[in-house]
Amino acid sequence: MNRRVNVIGVGMTKFAKPGSSADYHEMAREAGTIALKDAGIDYSEVQQAYAGYVYGDSTCGQRAVYELGLSGIPVINVNNNCSTGSTALYLARQAIEGGLAECVIALGFEKMERGALGSKFNDRENPMGKHVQVMLDSQGFTSAPPAAQMFGGAGREYRWEHSIKRETFGQIAVKARDHASRNPYALFNQPMSLEEIMASEEVFDPLTRFQCCPPTCGAGAAILCSDEFAKKHGIDNPVYIAAQAMTTDFASSFEEQSMIKMVGYDMTKSAAAQVYEQAGVGPEDVQVVELHDCFTANELITYEGLGLCPEGGAEQFIWDGDNTYGGKYVTNPSGGLLSKGHPLGATGLAQCTELVWQLRGMADKRQVENANIALQHNLGLGGACVVTMYRRD
Amino acid sequence: MSGLRFDNRVAIVTGAGNGLGRQHALLLGSLGAKVVVNDLGGGAFGDGKSSAAADKVVEEIKELGGDAVANYDSVEDGEAIVKTAMDAFGTVDIVINNAGILRDTSFAKMTDNDWDLILKVHLTGSKSVTQAAWPIMREKGYGRIIMTTSAAGLYGNFGQANYCAAKLGLHGLAQCLAEEGRSKGIHVNTIAPIAKSRLTETILPPDILANLKPENVSPLVAWLCHEDCEETKGVFEVGAGYISKLRWERTLGHTFPLGRQFDIDDVVKKWDKITDFTDAEHPKNTNDSVAPIFANISNPSLGGNEFIDLDEAVKGELVLESEYDERDVALYALGIGAAHDPLDNSELKYVYEMGSDFSVLPTFAVMPQSGAMLSAAKTGQFSMPGMSFGLDRLLHGEQYTEIHRPLPANAKLKHIFKFKEAFDKDPNAVVTFAISSVDEDGNEVAYNEMTSFVKGAGGWGGDRGPSGDINVPPEREPDAVIEEKTDDNQTLLYRLSGDWNPLHADPNFAKAFGYDKPILHGLCTFGYCGRHVIKAFSDNDPRYFKSIKVRFAKNVFPGETLVTRMWKESDTRILFETTVKERNEVVIKNAAIELFSEIPEDKPVATKQASSGDAQPTESAVNEDVTLDDVFSAVSQYVASKPDLAEQVKTGFQFKFSNPDTAWFIDLKNGSGSAGAGEMDKPDVTIELDTKHVDTLFGGNMGEVQKLYFGGEMKLSGNIMASNKLTVLSGMDPELVEQARAKRVAAGGSNETAAPPTEAQDTEITLADIFAGVGEFIASKPELVADVSTSFQFKFSNPDSTWFIDLKNDAGAAGAGFVEKPDVTIELDTKHVDTLFGGNVAEVQKLFFGGELKLSGNIMASNKLSALSDMDPKLVEAARDKRLQEGTSAAEASVTTAKREPSATAIFAALKERALSGDFSLSGSPEVQFNVTDPDTSWVITGEAGNWEVYEGSSDSAKTVFTISDQLLEALAKGERSAKDLYQHGELRIDGDMMLAHDLEQFKGLA
Repeated sequence: MNRRVNVIGVGMTKFAKPGSSADYHEMAREAGTIALKDAGIDYSEVQQAYAGYVYGDSTCGQRAVYELGLSGIPVINVNNNCSTGSTALYLARQAIEGGLAECVIALGFEKMERGALGSKFNDRENPMGKHVQVMLDSQGFTSAPPAAQMFGGAGREYRWEHSIKRETFGQIAVKARDHASRNPYALFNQPMSLEEIMASEEVFDPLTRFQCCPPTCGAGAAILCSDEFAKKHGIDNPVYIAAQAMTTDFASSFEEQSMIKMVGYDMTKSAAAQVYEQAGVGPEDVQVVELHDCFTANELITYEGLGLCPEGGAEQFIWDGDNTYGGKYVTNPSGGLLSKGHPLGATGLAQCTELVWQLRGMADKRQVENANIALQHNLGLGGACVVTMYRRD
Repeated sequence: MSGLRFDNRVAIVTGAGNGLGRQHALLLGSLGAKVVVNDLGGGAFGDGKSSAAADKVVEEIKELGGDAVANYDSVEDGEAIVKTAMDAFGTVDIVINNAGILRDTSFAKMTDNDWDLILKVHLTGSKSVTQAAWPIMREKGYGRIIMTTSAAGLYGNFGQANYCAAKLGLHGLAQCLAEEGRSKGIHVNTIAPIAKSRLTETILPPDILANLKPENVSPLVAWLCHEDCEETKGVFEVGAGYISKLRWERTLGHTFPLGRQFDIDDVVKKWDKITDFTDAEHPKNTNDSVAPIFANISNPSLGGNEFIDLDEAVKGELVLESEYDERDVALYALGIGAAHDPLDNSELKYVYEMGSDFSVLPTFAVMPQSGAMLSAAKTGQFSMPGMSFGLDRLLHGEQYTEIHRPLPANAKLKHIFKFKEAFDKDPNAVVTFAISSVDEDGNEVAYNEMTSFVKGAGGWGGDRGPSGDINVPPEREPDAVIEEKTDDNQTLLYRLSGDWNPLHADPNFAKAFGYDKPILHGLCTFGYCGRHVIKAFSDNDPRYFKSIKVRFAKNVFPGETLVTRMWKESDTRILFETTVKERNEVVIKNAAIELFSEIPEDKPVATKQASSGDAQPTESAVNEDVTLDDVFSAVSQYVASKPDLAEQVKTGFQFKFSNPDTAWFIDLKNGSGSAGAGEMDKPDVTIELDTKHVDTLFGGNMGEVQKLYFGGEMKLSGNIMASNKLTVLSGMDPELVEQARAKRVAAGGSNETAAPPTEAQDTEITLADIFAGVGEFIASKPELVADVSTSFQFKFSNPDSTWFIDLKNDAGAAGAGFVEKPDVTIELDTKHVDTLFGGNVAEVQKLFFGGELKLSGNIMASNKLSALSDMDPKLVEAARDKRLQEGTSAAEASVTTAKREPSATAIFAALKERALSGDFSLSGSPEVQFNVTDPDTSWVITGEAGNWEVYEGSSDSAKTVFTISDQLLEALAKGERSAKDLYQHGELRIDGDMMLAHDLEQFKGLA
């Protein structure tokens, strides 16, 4: 039984920097309430909840969902590092698609600390142990934030192999800032020049500070339902999930001594291939993409992973402006993780929110013209990658 | 030779034909003694008889220039042997009982003959010869006797029951003769030799026997037989050159008090103690033996039974805490009928806390401790040592309560319960507890004695106690009478002050105890009485009240009328008796209240003048008094001088001083210990104390310190018992404190309260110590270099210093500065150095993954540091000690960065040559610049195919700029590292066109 899964309501909070946000349950209430209102349904209609977050004690999901109502429905807490939000979405989609529920909510929230990501549990094996080993073997370890070393290392590797300029990475951040300046929900609303990007403090060559996503607090939500449910509620021509795939690490992540592979290039590539296969459309049919630009280096390699450009073609793709308005695609119209912000648990749902708005033509100043097929890419080290294709007929 | 000789001494040596006896005889003979060489000439097993052996030894002695005669009698015929001596030499000075035979067989198979023969030869034989010589020795007041026992006799040996018994019998014989001969100059000693002899050669393997020469035993025997030797009663183990003295050892054991039954179960309970040799003693004689027994006899048990153990009771005490406030005070006053008339100003002051004259009724002094006791009893926490009866047996018989000054309106108190006395009113008992209630400053606020009747707990045969009454009122009419009716619900109100016993509230419960209804609390009546006396004799001013003593005679029911009749015995002493009007029964008797003649001072006099103001220096003046700095500086020195202390004590002490507030620590737990200002991590015990008591704390008088604690002046938290370990500091020379003070004062009083004393730091392990230790280790293990073949460069931060461990070149080395071409470079904060060399790889990895340890170069090579894991940490300590001795501070020992000759010059020169020869080419016709660091040089390559120019300098038009350290440039040129590897590691920085980076692989072979 493969039913169509519709996204009938989305919502998110304005992303904020750590210390200036509401508490997680309050942010979740805001995003969830907006999504319910957007769908035009009452919370009592929601049969299951998938609540994603990374930092917090167990059952924060319940505490967050309880803000919307206390109807005793199943609440599943989801934790999958940076791809937590889209993993919640993945589970929600499965519930509807498999006929297990008619209407569910996927909710993601994150209240983050200031500063770079670090591990919280140092008395046990690091979940990234195998990844770190690859890095140790190929480039050692410095005092830079670990994630920056990993993705920056992938950037170095790409740069060595394809002889690209350091500024090419910076140009992605310029684009992200430009897009974010049109997005009222984004954390950074000011455009920034390439010079400014490149002149910012170097975090890990080739990455400068403004090429790294900031720790962010925020929440996002999506209401998913079956066709029957949408029909019953008079929802006409909703955005729907045309295809979705999730991958985790392959042997190549660890065995090829490649930083690019280690940070999940093959996860991206495989998930994307599955999505194109399921949907029966290729990347060339997509108009708008929200992809996981935690660092500029990852956006760059993801262009190739998603097939938006040929392998080795990213530099050309970037300088040709094929990643922004007027080019082949608009990648991260929201500003992406780099500029909109990256509250780990919320990111996947914020990406979903942006794309649903784009497909509905509700994206205001950042509206991509004639958008009817959208692609979402959300990746977490550790690792997991979810690629989702949305359509609106 | 020392000149110890035996001229004119006559010695009898039995069994002297062979082995040990022969050797003894030869030695004594050679030293001038006249020797009777006794030997039956038999076999080792008592068989046969021949004169040959003895004769031969006599010949040998004579050959050595001595004088000797042979005797062939059995040792059982001691008279005959002694007669030989008397006939030949006229006296006997020395008897060496050596003769012996063996009849080994397991006990099961042992025949009477086996037994008798052995005992006869060894024990009876020794006795026989000794006894024959004894009167001669006694008469002349001189004698030396040797008994020969055996390890078999002392410790037991399989298959030698007869021999073991006989040999230990000899020991007993010797012990007795030593005592009998003591006053006659006769010394008796016993040896337990092991030597090659006819008796042992069947038991021991030949190679061992070869080393067990009789010659190794005889010198001891000769000394014991010498007139200069004062030793007697000794037992010596001797053989193969080893000589030692044996003695008895006895555990301290356990003493069951006499007068008390104890049985098998009690023995089992004390078994561990009975058999514990810790602090064992060494009795030398029967007096020593029976001393503890007599001591126990002369200190009989105080008595007791299953309910009351007086021996335990006198030893123990119980401390409880409680606090009260105005509400408790007022509630108590209401409970004992005060302010029944709310308009009566004379008593409103007991219940109205907002009034200006709010007063605490003096009899309230009984409440905090009894409340604490009852509260503890309710949860089963009240247990006085030696008291094993339930509260249901207890009947409050008498109460004495005393205060030293008016009670405060609120207080936090510590109550020290002690057993005072017990009387055996068979079948019941009367027990008195003394309770001292002290406030937080250690001042006694109240003293109580509670005497209770304990039903069925008597009968241990103890003292019945004094009979006769005290405080008997005179015949005359009372000087005052006060009559007061209690309320019907009086007990329900009174019980809210803490006595929860259902007997006073629950009608059914009261019935079960044989009362028609709940009865009034005795102490409630007691309170009424106190009020009555205050009303009648101190004009309602409770401040004159000093003490009250009552005996509870009968119960009072709530609602009854109390009539207190009072007689003024003196201005300060009032006798009284209280009856129940309705039943005309005396309920309180033998009672008295004492009054102060003057109202005592309101505030307690401080136990010690507070010195908070002058304990610390003011900003301008140097404080010449001893300060905490001085004390802890001295402790720090002391700790540093005793590196073993931390290992022994394993305790961390945190001190929090008040007036003024400062924090200090003594860490006898981590490393080799330290002391100083501030707080330590995870102290075992925290000690809070007023600064003024610091002298007491470190004064070494544990009694005084305990007083502070029980007086509430010192607070302990954490593991309280650990505080006892502070006594390890008692060995500290007080002069250290004085020195620290003098030093500080001399230095102008620089007294950085928050900073640990600097003396302590220098004794800490420094990097110099560690690397010196590593250097020692490497020197001791020359094979390490071949095994490990790796060099390590360390770059420490905070403070910055550079060190290396070279396990690659020559014989290996470690020290400050750089190593040429390290395989791996390790960057780390100095504070983590312990972890780095701690041998715990997981901890090191944690640092690494946590980003605190940075590795570059061949990272995997860092694993080879584990080659140092079996290094003895003592090497580092030794290096530290050496450094301290030499007076080198850590700062002086660290070495600044060594200068390095640039490799770049040669490399680029080589590159130039290679370019000229056409073996080097850059893609296209670019211009590239190299920024080489450490040492800094800058190079440019420019030109086009076939015409490359390489020069030192810089260019504005470089298409690509490479940045790399001189050292790594050399690694690149040597082909040890690839350009890509260097780039991926961030060690080669490439700005501009990346394409040219690939050309760097051509540098390989340039060095």
